[in-house]
Formats: sequence, structure tokens, C-alpha cells
Amino acid sequence: MIEVKNLTKLYGNKRAVNDLSFTINSGEVVGFLGPNGAGKSTTMNIITGYLSSTSGSVSVCGIDVLDDPMAAKRHIGYLPEIPPVYPDMTVAEYLDFVYELKGVKGTSKKKHLGEICEIVGISHVRDRVIKNLSKGYRQRTGLAMALVGNPDVLILDEPTVGLDPIQIIEIRNVIKELGRQRTVVLSTHILSEVEAICERVLVINNGSIVANDSPENLSADVSGEHKFVVRVAGPQDAVQAIIRASEGIRMAEFLGEHEKNSCDFVVESDPAVDVRKPLFYSLAKAGYPILMLKPMDMSLEDIFVKLTHSETVKKGAK
Amino acid sequence: MLAVYKRELRAYFTSPMGYIFLAIWLALANLFFYMYCVMSQTSDLSGTFANLLFISSFIIPMLTMRTFSEEKKQKTEQLLLTSPVSLTGIVVGKYLSCLTVFVVALLGTFTWPLIVTMYGHPALYTIVGNYAALFFGVAAFMAIGVFLSCMTESQIVAAISSFATYMGLYLIGTLASAIDNPVVRAIMNFISLFSRYSNFALGLFALDDIVYYISITVIFLFLTTRVIEKKRWA
Repeated sequence: MIEVKNLTKLYGNKRAVNDLSFTINSGEVVGFLGPNGAGKSTTMNIITGYLSSTSGSVSVCGIDVLDDPMAAKRHIGYLPEIPPVYPDMTVAEYLDFVYELKGVKGTSKKKHLGEICEIVGISHVRDRVIKNLSKGYRQRTGLAMALVGNPDVLILDEPTVGLDPIQIIEIRNVIKELGRQRTVVLSTHILSEVEAICERVLVINNGSIVANDSPENLSADVSGEHKFVVRVAGPQDAVQAIIRASEGIRMAEFLGEHEKNSCDFVVESDPAVDVRKPLFYSLAKAGYPILMLKPMDMSLEDIFVKLTHSETVKKGAK
Repeated sequence: MLAVYKRELRAYFTSPMGYIFLAIWLALANLFFYMYCVMSQTSDLSGTFANLLFISSFIIPMLTMRTFSEEKKQKTEQLLLTSPVSLTGIVVGKYLSCLTVFVVALLGTFTWPLIVTMYGHPALYTIVGNYAALFFGVAAFMAIGVFLSCMTESQIVAAISSFATYMGLYLIGTLASAIDNPVVRAIMNFISLFSRYSNFALGLFALDDIVYYISITVIFLFLTTRVIEKKRWA
């Protein structure tokens, strides 16, 4: 659906995007993740034809954006970081304008725009002037703009920035819903957003991709080991001995007493063995019930720091 | 192109700008009509028209200054440039909306030919020539204004630089007559968009002058598309 090959963009001497290559398949919801200034917006601007690349190629739905920009643009709905709305127009006037601007054919305008307003939840503010709307509603209006003409590909640049927590959840749900029929690319520097919406993550730092995988695999890959935190009601020494003796356990480290008459351990296990059942039975047999057992997955936050940090360390070593 | 044109035209008439422009222009134009025609009791409108391009150049920036700088400031150009519309379509649509506001202003002066024919026998072809000259002259000035608007994010900078350019062109035209060297004088007269206009005021209608104004218009609109395109590659 979207194919980016060896994309490079120079701003003067600064490499905003550095030899970027990736493919996004039809129907995927992909997140661009990266710190501010990583090159996310620049990449999106190049895909949508707003900026040109210094070298490399981009094709959308099989159409090269340089060869036939008009045809490529017809397949894309783009919501830039700052929603490009005209403050003096009402929402309805604005969407009418976008409908004409995009030259949408084959659908009744009223029906099409009505549906879009329903999806993004702006039907009740259609007759209000955009400058009087809150940031959240402007963002929604921008999203509605991107949806006009039913494009196959949606590109959303930080769609939830500046929204309140409730609006963020609403917009995320809208995006998830949209992702069922379309290809969606969104950028963010909020990790939980990627975890919540995306099937795949491209972690970008300093204009290069440092990771490209599903959020789950990323956290498993980078952590590279199986760890649990277990809380058991019982004396430390006895419990520790039982845990260590249990099948497949490599190490058990005492963490402290977080709850009265219990002790917490970090348990590292052999990835090939599911240690939970043997652990449960052996502790139960000894009369020390497990109060809590939770896998210690690295959050995307940790992964992100690890990935981007190792990158900088490598660069520094050069 | 049509979508951009309609939106721009609506923007002029849903904000005070279009009305302010029309009010100022019609007030000044009618003042000149009164001074040069009614007071001097002539049916010849050329004296009035002789001044109209000059006074128009004062207020044309009011219309052209916002064309591209406002889009840039509001970041709405991202919508235009990522929509399936050609850049030429965007530029021409915006330009034509400015020109349309001016045509509305011109329509407001059709009372003049009516008044002078009621009381005298004016040379009708001269009047037509004068209207055509003013229209094409303003069209060229507007193209320059649109071009300068695409260079900056600030409407004020766009307006002041357009105004300064028009005044510069006017000065070049007036200074030309003080130059002895015929080549330099010819060049100065060629650059100054005002010099050719005075021919029309004398009742001389020359097609090459119209072609000249149209050429200036086309060149500056073309340059506008080039400047916007260049920003993509920067």
C-alpha cells in the first residue's frame, strides 16, 4: 500500500530523514514512534506530497508520488500536526469546501459528509464557526477533512496532541474503528497510544528506523528474558528455598515486604518452560499461598529508551 | 480551482475586507469622477481614469496580501498542497477571486457612462478602452501582489512590500521623463507599469499595451507557482 525506499531528506546540512525504507500493507494500522524532531512529520509530509524528498522513492497504492502526485493524493487523507482548518468558516462550510477541493465523485455530498460527521462526532457543531471550537473539536474537524472522499490511506500526524484524556480515548476509538477498513499511519511520541491502537510500530530516531515490529514482540524482543514478580504469604527464607527448587527457575531475588506477612521476589525462568503451574503447586503444598504473580514485561517506555539510547551510544562510539 | 476560487471569494465577503476595499475604492473613484468630470463639466472620462490606476495601487494590497501569507500562517496551505489540485489551479483560483472583487468595484462605476451620456456626447470607445486599460492594469498589479504574498507569512510584510513595489514602479515612470539617454528612458518606461497606462488616458487604445499587462500577469502568477514549488524542495 505504502512503499518507501531509501528516503532521504536534507534540510541544508541537517539530515531530517536518513535512508528510510519500509512497507506498509493494506489494512494495517501502523504507528510512527519517535522523540520530537525524529523525522516523523517530515516522512509523513513527503508521503503526502507536501514536501519533496532529497532522494529515494515513495509509492502509495502502487503510484509513485513524484510521477503522478494528483493520482497518489486522491488515495490519501492527511491530517497534519496542526489541523488545517479555516477559522472563519463553519464546520459545514469547511467540509463542503474540502469535498469540492478533493473533487469527490460518485457519492451524494450531503450523505457522505453527514456520515463523516457522525463518525468523528461533530454533527452537533456543524453550524458553528471553527474559531469558536475547542482544540478537540478542531482536531475532529481536521480528522473529518482527512476522511472526505473515503481515502484508502489515512495519515495522521499526532492526532491526539493537545486533547484532554477523555477526548484522547474517544479519538483513539475513532481511529481504531477507521483502521478496520483502511490503512492508517499515525505518528506519536506517546507510547501508550501505540500500544492502544497500532498493530505495528516503526520506531524512528534521528531520521532512521531503529525498530519495526508489533508492540508485543518489541517488548518481548528487547527484554529478551522471562521475568515475573511473585508475592507469597510466608517467611522469606522458606519461600525463597521453595521457589529456587521449583522446576525451570534460574534465579529468585528478594525484593522486600510490600504487604504484611508476605514477601516479593523477582523470578527469572527458562523461557522454554512455563514455570507458573509447578510454582503454584509447590508453594501451595508448603502452605504458602501466592498472592500475586505478574510478568515483568518491559513497557514500551523502557524499550523506547533502550532503543534510542543504544543508538546514541553506538553513534558516540563511532 | 473552482473550489479555491469560491472559498476565497466567500472569504472576502464574509469578512470586512471585501467591503472595506469596495467602500474605499468607490469613495475615492467617485471623488475623482466628481472632480475631473462633474466639476470641469466634461463628458470625457479619461481624466478620471488617468488617476484610477494610481489610487488603486494604494489599496490593491488589501486584497492580495492575505492570499498566500494567511494560508501559511494558519497552516492551511498543507490542505491545499496535499489535495488533488494542481498548484496552478490554486494560484489562479486565488488570483481570480481578488480580481473578481475588483470587477465588483468596477461595476459600481457604470453609473459614470450613464451620467455623461445623459448630459453630453462622450466618445464611447474611449470609455471602453479606459475600462479595459484599468482592468488589465490592476490585473497586472494584483499578480505582483499575489506573488509577494507567497514570499512571506506576514500579511503586513506582504502589503507593505507590494505597496513599496507599486510606488517604486510609479517613481520609475515619473523619473523616466527626466532622463536624457533614450535607451535608459525606454527601459524605465518599459519597467514602470504606469507609463503605458497614460496612453489610454489620452484615448489611445493599443493592443500591445494590453498584451504587455497580460504578460506581466502571467509571468508573476507563474513565478508564484515556482516559489511555492521551490519551498517543497528546500
